Order: sequence, then structure tokens, then C-alpha cells
Amino acid sequence: MFKKILFATTSSAICNDASNAAIELAKKHNSKLYIFHALGFPTRGFGSHVVDFKTGEHEYYSPEYVSRIKGEIEKTYAAQLKELDNYTIETLAGVPHTEILRLARKEEVDLIVMGPHTKEDKGALLYRSMLGSTMQGVTQKARCPVMIVSCPVPKEKLEFKNIVFGTDFSKLSDAAFIFAYDLAKERGSMLYLFHALDITPGIGAAIFGQNEIDKCLYGIKDRIKETYVSKMEGFDNYNIRTWEGIPYMEIVKFARRKEADLIVMAHHSKEKDPDKAIIGSTMEQVVMRANCPVVSVNRQV
Amino acid sequence: MAEEAKTQEEKPQDKRPLVSRVPVKDKEMLDLLLADRGVTYYEEMKKFPVDTEAFKKTLDASCKSRIRTWLKICAHCGMCADTCFFYLANDRDPKQVPSYKIQSTLGEIVKRNGDVDTDFMINCMDTAWGKCTCCNRCGMYCPHGIDMGVMFGYTRGLCFSQGFVPHEMKIGSGMHWIFNAQMDVTVEDYVETCEWMVEENEEYYPGLTIPVDKVGADIMYVVNAREPKHYPQDLAVAAILFHLAGESWTVPSKGWEGTSLAMFAGDWACCKQQVENVYAAMERLKVKRYVGTECGHQHRATITEGPYWAGRKSGDPPVPGLHYVEWVLEALETGKLKLDPAKKIKEPCTLQDPCNYVRNHGLTDVTRKIMSYIAEDFREMSPNREHNFCCGGGGGMNGIGRYRKERNIGLKVKRDQILATGTKFVVSACHNCWDAIRDLEEVYKIGIKWSFLKPILLEMVIVPDHLKPKEEEEGANE
Ligand code: SF4
Ligand code: SF4
Ligand code: SF4
Repeated sequence: MFKKILFATTSSAICNDASNAAIELAKKHNSKLYIFHALGFPTRGFGSHVVDFKTGEHEYYSPEYVSRIKGEIEKTYAAQLKELDNYTIETLAGVPHTEILRLARKEEVDLIVMGPHTKEDKGALLYRSMLGSTMQGVTQKARCPVMIVSCPVPKEKLEFKNIVFGTDFSKLSDAAFIFAYDLAKERGSMLYLFHALDITPGIGAAIFGQNEIDKCLYGIKDRIKETYVSKMEGFDNYNIRTWEGIPYMEIVKFARRKEADLIVMAHHSKEKDPDKAIIGSTMEQVVMRANCPVVSVNRQV
Repeated sequence: MAEEAKTQEEKPQDKRPLVSRVPVKDKEMLDLLLADRGVTYYEEMKKFPVDTEAFKKTLDASCKSRIRTWLKICAHCGMCADTCFFYLANDRDPKQVPSYKIQSTLGEIVKRNGDVDTDFMINCMDTAWGKCTCCNRCGMYCPHGIDMGVMFGYTRGLCFSQGFVPHEMKIGSGMHWIFNAQMDVTVEDYVETCEWMVEENEEYYPGLTIPVDKVGADIMYVVNAREPKHYPQDLAVAAILFHLAGESWTVPSKGWEGTSLAMFAGDWACCKQQVENVYAAMERLKVKRYVGTECGHQHRATITEGPYWAGRKSGDPPVPGLHYVEWVLEALETGKLKLDPAKKIKEPCTLQDPCNYVRNHGLTDVTRKIMSYIAEDFREMSPNREHNFCCGGGGGMNGIGRYRKERNIGLKVKRDQILATGTKFVVSACHNCWDAIRDLEEVYKIGIKWSFLKPILLEMVIVPDHLKPKEEEEGANE
């Protein structure tokens, strides 16, 4: 499923869990691995200067600088890369999510793996309000699934034996379902089809009574069967679960309970203000709280 | 060791000189310059001789009566002094008085008929690029109408012809020679970026296209290379807005870039070939009108000055040229674009008037009318309109490392203007101004935000029903 994997790194410690997962996955799937780092923000208008995302220092954007940074990345991942021969390291100046998406599109990668890029480095922080969050930018627009890894993942969990697919029945969720289903089929995993009935006061507008909630939940089960189970030919290693609550909390709780190896969901926050979006979108909330990788799918692949 | 010694010996022979009187027209030279960071470049310059014979010839051919008269009739009255933001920002340093700056450089060159030396030319360069942004403000106040901005533009050309030009400017004009763009973006890269942006957005805006080379379209849209290079979403938003407005429009493949660092560099030959590319695209595609992106100097280069570079007797481009703000206003007034008044910007905001299409092209009211559609509490800077100060980064200054310190000092004037409005949000429909304001925030940290018009419009625009995606299903809770 993953012939080409793009690992987008800030090349600092915050991405260690993601790098482990990306490299391990590449080994497992015999994938070509692209390690990409946007090294700085182009500044001084058209001039050849960048503000280094890590240090916040102004650097001259010369071939030497680029190869120095490349060398640093190579060194950072040297130990893990030893057993991998099909990889390249790419780095250039630019807006990180733009360049990640550009490369992903150019190389037609099957999966982007990244850390949450939340604790951004000094230089990156400078431009945060202007550029928005990298995770947000990538998950919103990527044509391939994006796996966000924000916690350590033991090797065996990368077998993805327990997959939780969280749906809100949107069109985007259909795309996420196909990914989750294909992966479950390939890996022979247990696939949980999960929906949380949103009873956040104010959002669903009505305050539900328990009876009503139960009624709703039954309806949802049917809907899951209709929408997803009907598409799973002969695959029966699945389970339907519907909970009520605040969706991102419920899916995280559920995934913990089931010791899930992977959460798969669609990402469609329309919020553009990066700060609000971080708090506002289900995706980010899940990513920050989950104890397993989270895959965001936004497109039919 | 032996290896090292050998390479060091070899170097001087096969190394091409970085400073020269000719523009950069090949990739190898461009890469050498890029790799140099300006260090060797400026060292070489210190020893680079002035070709006084050639200089005389250039002067004879290009220094016409207007410049000569201006230099002569200056009454040294000093009225231009506090019209220049550099003078104000540098504690009224007499060396920053516009008339002094021009008399001590171009004035001397003309007086001595080009018989000047290297140190003199380096000082000319440091004045023409490091103490003037060619914002033309001083010219508005001089009782004789003497415009130091125009004269420094000319001085830059003289400096360029003698090889005394800031590192980044030499590279900039080189980019235009090689790529027909201010950055290394090829036609293929550009078309590719257009396709990419459609792919990214067509799901949300069904039917969205970026028509490349569509003959007979009403509008030909031309961008700034930074957009495909670093901010492709700007191109996407432009496409979305044209799409929602129901325009018949196109982007040219060849001739897609409208900016001209060649103009800032003083590379006159390059200015000509750059703008002729855009004009050729207008003619090839037989479009009715041109619309340029939110860039000030692009408008100056392509619409205001370009026709003269291209030798067009009419003084006009082949088809009427609009700045993006003109298109926006037209679309708003004719109702092609409808904004949701409830989404108007609530917080107080102000507007940066870019010299290049306000003072130098009279588009003063256009942006103000747009503000009335998008902002509830719009507050003018003072002074404003054609009297506005340069953002502080014009004329190429934002990009030149050698004058970074001077640039940052100059930004104080804009900073204080913004602070005096009491607003925290600056609308800026010009790439250069946008950059300068961003850097201003980086340097002085006054807690402001800034934006182009496009993202604001996208937030507020009402998508007509027939252009909405079919299934606007957001969640399970119907
Ligand atoms: S205002 Fe005009 S005449 Fe007076 S010093 Fe300045 S350029 Fe000369
Ligand atoms: S053109 Fe502008 S920057 Fe240059 S001298 Fe005149 S006022 Fe000063
Ligand atoms: S950058 Fe903007 S304000 Fe400054 S000279 Fe150019 S157009 Fe004028």
C-alpha cells in the first residue's frame, strides 16, 4: 500500500517518534522513503536569505547551507537509516506545508508521515501566525493519507492489527473509510467502525435525553451498516461502536480502551485562523491526545 | 594537503569575475553569484575600474534635457528634506536630504561627464539603492517638480552599466534574463503549479479551472513569481475569485510573470525584454484586458513605464491594464462578486497605499472604496493617499542585504504611522509593502497583522448557489 512514503520533519527531537515510525514503515513495506525538511522561511523579499526554522537566525540560502542542513539530517537519522537503502533527503527554503504538498504531488507518494509539528522551533514560531500550522495545512490539502505520529510507537504496533475508523458520515469520511478498510484487509486487522454522537451542548443544539440518545445511536448503527458494511465484501473482522459525547474525546477514549494501533479519520476543519483551528478541529485534538498514530484522509485515493 | 593546494591554485584562473558591466545571462554565472553571498562580489567591486570612455557615451546617449535641467535648477531650498522618509527616520541627517543625495551622485557624474572613480561609484550605488526607494514622494513637494526618485532610477541605470550594482539586484536582473521571471520558476513550473492549485481546490469549487493560454479571454491574469514559488495558494484564491465572479479569463504560459527586478536594478535592456514578453502574451492570446496581481512595482513596470521601454508610441500597453484592486472594485460594484456584510472586518484596520500604483498611478480612491466593502472601522494613516510614505522597503530595498540596517531604520516611519492609527491590522495590496510590514513586525514587534486583499475577500465572498459543491454535507447530525 505504501510504495512511496514522504516523511516531513522539522529535523528536531519533536519528530523522533514520527521518524521512527516512518523509517520502520518504509522497511516493512519496502517503500521508497523521502525525508523532507523545509529549512527556513525565505525572507528579504526576492533576496537569497532565509530565516532558519530551527535557530531563528538569518542564513544565506546557498548550496553550502543546503548541503550542511542535509548533512545534519542525514546524521540525525543515520542509525535508523542504516538498514534502508531506498531513501533520499530533500531540503529547501519555503513555506513548509506548501513544499511538503508540492513534493508529495510531484513524487505521487502514497503516504505522508509527520510529527505534530506543534512545538515549533524558534524560527518557525516567528511565522506561525502568518503561515498557519504545518499539520493543518498538510492534512487539509494532501491528496494522500497523512499519518501524524505524536507518541512513541513500538514496532509491533506498526502492524496495525487494531484499526479504529472514526466517521461523521461526511463525504470525506468515505475516503477515510476506503483507506482504513484496504489497510485492514491487507493486514488482516480488526476494524472498528466508530461514531460518536455529538452532544456537546450548543453544537447539536438540542440537549438530548437518554432515551433519545439511545434511539439515535440505534439509527446510527444502521447507518454505519448501510454506508460502510455494505461495501465490505466478505470481510467480517469488524465491529460497530457508537458512543455519545464530544467526538474527539470519545474516539480517543475508545482507541485507548481497544488498545488501537491506528486511528483513521477525515479532516475537515474550515477554520483558517491557526490558533483557533488548533483548538477547534477534531483532528488536532485527536492527534494531541491519542496514544497511537492518527491517519487523516481527505481524498479518494 | 596536496589536493587542497592544487584546487587553490586552480581557482583564480577558472574563476569568472563576479563584477562586470554586463548583465548575467547564463545559469553558470547566476549560480556563481548566488553561491557567493556577496562577500567576494563587493571585494571585487572595490577594485573594479570605471570605464570613463563608455560612461561618457552612455551619458551622451541617455542623459536628456529633463535630468540636466532638474540638476541645474535645483534651488537648494531644502523643501524636499522632510518629504523623504529616510531623512525623517535618520534624525534629519543632512546627508539624507533628497537634493543632496542626488547632487552628490548624479549631479557630480554629469558635471564631470563620467570622469569618476571606483570609490565614487560605490558611494553612488550605496546612495541610489541604500538611501532611496524611488518612491517619488519628494518630487510631489519640490516647487520645481524635481523628482529625485526618477533621477535615482536613472542613476541606477548608470551604475548598472558600469557594474556597480548591489549583489541581489545583479542576480535579480539575471533571473529575468534567464527565466523571464524574478525567481527561478520556469514556464513548466508555472503551468504545473496552476494544475496543482486546481486539483487542490476543485472539490470545494466545482468547475474551477485555471485556463492556460486561452485565446480570446476577457482577462489575462499575470502574477508575481513569488506566488508560484512560495505562495501558490495566492494563485488559487485569484482563480477562485475569477471563477465565482464568472469571468472569462486566462493565464499565459510564456509571459506569465509581470514583475521587474530589472527596473529596480537599472538594467534597461532587461526591462524591455521582460515587459515585451508580457505584451507578446497579450497579443498572442488576443485578450481584452490585463489584470495584474497585488503587486505595486509589477503595475509600474508593466502598465505605467513598460510601454515606454517597449517603445510603444501610444504610451499604453497593447490592451488596457488593470491593477488587481481595480478589478476587485469593478467586480464589487457590478455585483459580480458579492460579499457578506456580516463578515466585514470588525476590528479597526488601516491601509497601506503603495507608491507604485497610488502616487504613481492615481489609484487612490479604488482601495478606499474596497475598504468600505470589507471593513467596519477603517482608519486612514496620516499622511495618506498620494502623500503616503513609502512602506520602507520599496525600490528593491527589501531584498538587499547590504542595506538591511538602513532599511530597518527607514521602517520606523511606517511603524509610527501605523501605531498612530491605533489599529492592529494593515491591509496591503502590494507584495513589497506586505514584506516590509512583515519585517517591520519582525524588527519592532508592535503586534500587528497584515494581509493581502485576496484572503480577506475569500473569507467574505458569497458563493452563488449554482457554484456550490453538490453535497455540502458536514456531519451526521442532520
Ligand atoms: S525642493 Fe526641489 S529645489 Fe528645493 S532642494 Fe529639493 S529638489 Fe532642490
Ligand atoms: S524618491 Fe523617496 S526615498 Fe528617494 S529621495 Fe525621494 S522621497 Fe526619498
Ligand atoms: S514597496 Fe510599496 S510602498 Fe514601498 S515603494 Fe514599492 S509600492 Fe511603494
